[in-house]
Amino acid sequence: MLKKRLVFTLLYQHGYFMLSRNFRLQKVGNLKWLQSNYDFSRISFSIDELVVLDVSRGQRKLDDFCHALKELSQGCFVPVAAGGGVNSVDAARKLLRSGADKVVINSSIYNDIDFVSQLASEFGQQCVVASMDVKSSLDGIYRVWSDCGSVCRPGTAAHWINQLSEAPIGELYLNSMERDGTGQGYDLRLLDLLPRTMTKPVILAGGVGNASHLATGLADRRVDAVATAHLFNFVGDGLKQAREALISSGINLPVWGS
Amino acid sequence: MSNPKITVVDYGMGNLWSVISALRHLGCSPLTSSDPDEIARADTLLLPGVGSFRKAMIALQQTGIDQAITEAVQVNGRKILGICLGMQLMGLGSSEDGDTIGLGFINSTVTKFTFEEIGNNKLPHIGFDSVHSHSASHLFKNLRKTTDFYFVHSYRMLPSGIHGTLATCHYGIEFLAAYERDNVFATQFHPEKSQANGLMLLKNFLEV
Repeated sequence: MLKKRLVFTLLYQHGYFMLSRNFRLQKVGNLKWLQSNYDFSRISFSIDELVVLDVSRGQRKLDDFCHALKELSQGCFVPVAAGGGVNSVDAARKLLRSGADKVVINSSIYNDIDFVSQLASEFGQQCVVASMDVKSSLDGIYRVWSDCGSVCRPGTAAHWINQLSEAPIGELYLNSMERDGTGQGYDLRLLDLLPRTMTKPVILAGGVGNASHLATGLADRRVDAVATAHLFNFVGDGLKQAREALISSGINLPVWGS
Repeated sequence: MSNPKITVVDYGMGNLWSVISALRHLGCSPLTSSDPDEIARADTLLLPGVGSFRKAMIALQQTGIDQAITEAVQVNGRKILGICLGMQLMGLGSSEDGDTIGLGFINSTVTKFTFEEIGNNKLPHIGFDSVHSHSASHLFKNLRKTTDFYFVHSYRMLPSGIHGTLATCHYGIEFLAAYERDNVFATQFHPEKSQANGLMLLKNFLEV
């Protein structure tokens, strides 16, 4: 039986790794800092997948990002998904040649949903992760935002999720902008936006503050993976302990070690 | 661990980066090669791969790498590990994109999971899943009898009729997850993406 997953997401901007709260970024440290102070090599042994996103505001530099990705993926022996501003097959290929196994796309979905098919036919459907940043409007309806949460797109989130569930994607990364970086726990109401017939794996993101939030997310049968992007909530042995607690509470995560 | 000479076969299919990173992590200095002479003389071979069986086999034949691998493995008795598509290429053949003949080290053909077999499961089979190994296995030394590994595939071999030490995984049907016999080793899953479990398996392969 396929296992559920614990995903760690790193947010990158112009050479630095960032904390995000409601999509406002705060600089934490560069690659060297991440590798030495945060002990990334140890953290990477407590996760099932790594997501690295270039969330740089303003002009992105793909070559610099690919360089950081290559350095990071070198010590990370789990699948790696990478993205941020990907809008061409060539950009996707560059990421895949820099250590990524999958490509994350977001804003380009709303510009041209056929881009999903182009990527899938070039690299295979398993290679495409559709990421969606979602926020509820004043009328209580969930809508999607692109370009690092700066542009609200027409159509409801439910509509877009429905479209994507029919498209050749490998999985859906569903992120709550309201919970992002708050530590209040996942917005489980996002799961009600999924079609009943959803056959694509869902990664739930946005809002984790502690291990019990991870457990609540993973316990929902509609969730295949939970993500956290908070660099400080699980510092030290935090992630390792959280993982052990999840496994001993009966959540079906992969077990590492002999 | 000593520093075994390992040659990673580069035939243009898939990303070699993660395999090379994992081997380096284990203290090796892997060579990558697409030169048939070098491959034929290699001490230890690693055949990775992601993608279409047919395209891969054509690439191997056009470059003469297929014969170089056969010479290394069957004439010179060198050790080889095939990973994912690399394992499938070692079979008798595959039905992917029309029937194609394989290297023939493993006495089985590669076919797609059928919907009857997998029932409500999805294709491709992607993610971490449990592999059941045999106690006589070298690859699974120091690992639990049931261990989790990372899979990405839609085609598989079935274990019936194959001679060798086998490991299996269940995805609607029992399929071949790993194979070893004499100097031929193969895994359908990706050890280089399977955390501590995969690193242990690679280490075991290097030390056989």
